[in-house]
Amino acid sequence: MSNDILFLAEFAAGTPARSALELATGAAELASQSGGSAIGLAYGAGASEGAAALGAHGAARAIVLGNEDRPAITYAPALVAAARDAGLALLAPATPNGRDLAAAVVGSLHVPAFGPVRAVRIADGVVESEQATLQGSVVTTSRPADGAPSPSIVLVLANTFTPAEGGTGSAEVSPAPAAEESALARATVAESHEAEAKVVNLEEATIIVAGGRGVASEEGFAPLRALAEVLGGAVGASRAAADAGWIPYQLQIGQTGKVVKPALYIGAGISGAIQHRVGMQTAEHVVAINKDPDAPIGEFADLFVVGDLFQIIPALTEEIRRRKGA
Amino acid sequence: MKIVVCIKQVPATGADKRYTDDLTLDRTSVDAIINPLDEYAIEQALRLADAGTADSVTYLSMGPDQAAEALRRALAMGGDDAVLITDAALAGADEWATAKVLAAALDKLAPDVALMGMASDDARGSLVPGAVAAMRNVPLLSYGSELAIDGDAARVRRLSATGFDWITAPLPVVATVTDQVGEPRYASLKGIMAAKRKPLETWGVADIGLSADDLNGAALTVVTDARPPEEKAPTERIENLPATEAATKIADWLAARKLI
Amino acid sequence: MTYLLTTDHDELRAVVRELAEERIAPRAAEIDEKAEFPWDLKELLAKQDLLGTCFEEKHGGTNLDTIGQSILAEEIARADATTSLIPIVQKLGALPIMLAGTDEQKDRYFPRLASGEWLAAFGLTEAAAGSDVASNRMRATRDGDDYVLNGSKRFITHGSVANLLTVFALTDPEAGGRKGMSAFIVEADTPGFAAPRVEHKMGIRGSPTAELTFDDARVPVANRLGEEGEGFKIAMATLDRSRLGIAAQAVGIAQGALDAAIGYAADRQQFGQRVVDFEGIQFMLADMASQTEAARQLTYAAAARVDAQASDLPYWTSSAKLVAGDTAMRVTTDAVQVLGGYGYITEYPVERMMRDAKITQLYEGTQQIQRLIIARQLLQRAGVANRG
Repeated sequence: MSNDILFLAEFAAGTPARSALELATGAAELASQSGGSAIGLAYGAGASEGAAALGAHGAARAIVLGNEDRPAITYAPALVAAARDAGLALLAPATPNGRDLAAAVVGSLHVPAFGPVRAVRIADGVVESEQATLQGSVVTTSRPADGAPSPSIVLVLANTFTPAEGGTGSAEVSPAPAAEESALARATVAESHEAEAKVVNLEEATIIVAGGRGVASEEGFAPLRALAEVLGGAVGASRAAADAGWIPYQLQIGQTGKVVKPALYIGAGISGAIQHRVGMQTAEHVVAINKDPDAPIGEFADLFVVGDLFQIIPALTEEIRRRKGA
Repeated sequence: MKIVVCIKQVPATGADKRYTDDLTLDRTSVDAIINPLDEYAIEQALRLADAGTADSVTYLSMGPDQAAEALRRALAMGGDDAVLITDAALAGADEWATAKVLAAALDKLAPDVALMGMASDDARGSLVPGAVAAMRNVPLLSYGSELAIDGDAARVRRLSATGFDWITAPLPVVATVTDQVGEPRYASLKGIMAAKRKPLETWGVADIGLSADDLNGAALTVVTDARPPEEKAPTERIENLPATEAATKIADWLAARKLI
Repeated sequence: MTYLLTTDHDELRAVVRELAEERIAPRAAEIDEKAEFPWDLKELLAKQDLLGTCFEEKHGGTNLDTIGQSILAEEIARADATTSLIPIVQKLGALPIMLAGTDEQKDRYFPRLASGEWLAAFGLTEAAAGSDVASNRMRATRDGDDYVLNGSKRFITHGSVANLLTVFALTDPEAGGRKGMSAFIVEADTPGFAAPRVEHKMGIRGSPTAELTFDDARVPVANRLGEEGEGFKIAMATLDRSRLGIAAQAVGIAQGALDAAIGYAADRQQFGQRVVDFEGIQFMLADMASQTEAARQLTYAAAARVDAQASDLPYWTSSAKLVAGDTAMRVTTDAVQVLGGYGYITEYPVERMMRDAKITQLYEGTQQIQRLIIARQLLQRAGVANRG
């Protein structure tokens, strides 16, 4: 069994997903602890062309599972073949695609699975992970059982690793080993609908201004957009705002939406129910604005402002603009 | 067209949950409910039944005897019958063991669609559906905001980075749906009364062709420590200030942390 | 005799409570403020089969026992007293038909009531005939195959939203109210029938309390309940059973107020500690809780006797309504007291609960009437002639 650390690298239209770069960085860190190499498992449109560049973020090697624009789950058979006994750990993003592929590996290879983790390291030659369970009320530390097969799957949330800038390495690229026939490859895209407006990937945002029921309407998001712009951040929302049609579902933060870990999260008109909280509670700094002094978000925010968001947010935008001299 | 909905009974949100001394989850200590995310799968299945697309809806759950309550509650919402898999060999089962058991049961029930919610509330197990699909060698259609059937194929509407796609695969499939399916129905009084008369079978692992040995040593991860999270600094509050003053204080706070 | 609360009762309570907390309680303040009948909640209750609990399965109902019906009313009233009247008055309006109607009349009307497609109301009270039912003046004159109704009713709950009303009128004015009154089923679209006005009230403001006018309104003979002259008896027998619904409503209102008071007191801090930790407050809450429980258990005991068709059923239902109504008034008043100044403002629900509670001491027989009924039974049991 090798000490290598594998990671999933998703490509779309020739560009690696941010998760691919984050996991490359993370895998390289773990590989330095284990004494092995970081190996990218690349898939998706443009994977062959882009795989080598994973070396700039710490990958020593890259295996191309496939080069087509098809549902991620259809790459599961190739992934299983490439991952079998191939290293200590396989890092996967805790996104729908990452989870689907991780699940297929667990089902096919009967390997341990951890996460989503808040920290992971190699200790005594095996993976050691920390995760919050029971909605954040308990933090557990786990490792594989003695004699467990490898690699261990580790689900990683966005922004757990920060991609190193300015690396120059190039990964050695090789094709995937032959995959077994599997029904998992039979899913296809029947129809594809693009949204009219471009939607930001919240997982990549370092500053998020999120709105909830208190924003009251689609127009109500305008001051939040202005604040996000002056801060250089993105706009997000709670499920209530998405259900009401005020913003697209891609911007929903929460248990059934995106899980984000920005440096700054500002929640306006969001009560802070647990389903939303699990989507943003690992943000470094949490500011909440709500006219209800008893809103649950007030209990876990770092700064809780009781007041009318429609007055405070424009005033804050103005104040920040003034300070930035813009 | 036959649907089996896999559901899980979980501790109620916000209840006082804890780990026992041997670091396994103490499930008896709290009120139990149907995993909220599974209710969306139930709702999606029942909509297909209402439309006449599905001929039968069966609920499947793996758990202690008490999990029969969740199955009765599901039957009260609608559906035809239920199966509970309960066995001493299943105590402390992890995601892989759960998937193995469900896969074996599903092979026996042979539905066209095995439908599940996208994750479970407590231990966040989102890997079970994909593992089940891999074990059964059937396609996985996951994270659907809607499930539709076209003859001998199924499709789900799935959010993409830029909009949404309809992903399709030939039956039989494993499918998972999200909360975008829409509000699950409440169990009506007649539904509750009818549920008592609907068939609920109990199976042990032997009934699905597995033995304790197949599942022994099934726990591949070991928890070595469980502790409460770090104490957070108390929340700072700003209240009863005019907006401009509040804005100044917030900006000061952000500046002190080098966020602006 | 004893009564038993079963796991079925517990499950019913859990299901109704969930519905009430998620869908009814959030609407309560708005319903009170706007004084609007909550049609959306009526549809919801109908869809959940909760308006058919007193009807038999052959009519599409679920035939719950009277304790189950009380639990239903109680749990809804805990969230909102106005909404709890929807199932309560559905039963009240249908009771005369249950007690005195033919199978044909039941088959004709009960399916639509059980499904909630139609609402029912009970038209007995007149402007000059409240407690004194026998001095009713509305007339029903026989004309061929019809009766022609003339007169008016007042304070009729749901009179303006009901599709079907059971109405009481004099077929024999000479004989007076006790012997000359008859009962009729009136469909709301009957020409000559109107509900021109609703009252502005202290509480249960979302429940329309209507004045009804009958101006040569014709109802077919097939809509008469029982024989001519049986109306007073039917009305009394109806109230003997329906007042239990009010008892259950009162218990629910009290429970809602108690829960709100505990929640507030556990949060609010004064003098360096939680209000709930002061002994004085604990004494109040203990009194509120034990009195509410006593009212609840008496209501269930009465419900069991209704199902057993006990001969002294009025003694029990009147006792339950008397105790529960007075308890609701006391507990809600104390709840406002526990909240202090906050209890007086509309942002908190207890002032509404206090205003809602008052009606339980007034309608379906004032507390004074209840006392007369109880006293009559008491003296009878004791073999003492009642000269009052």
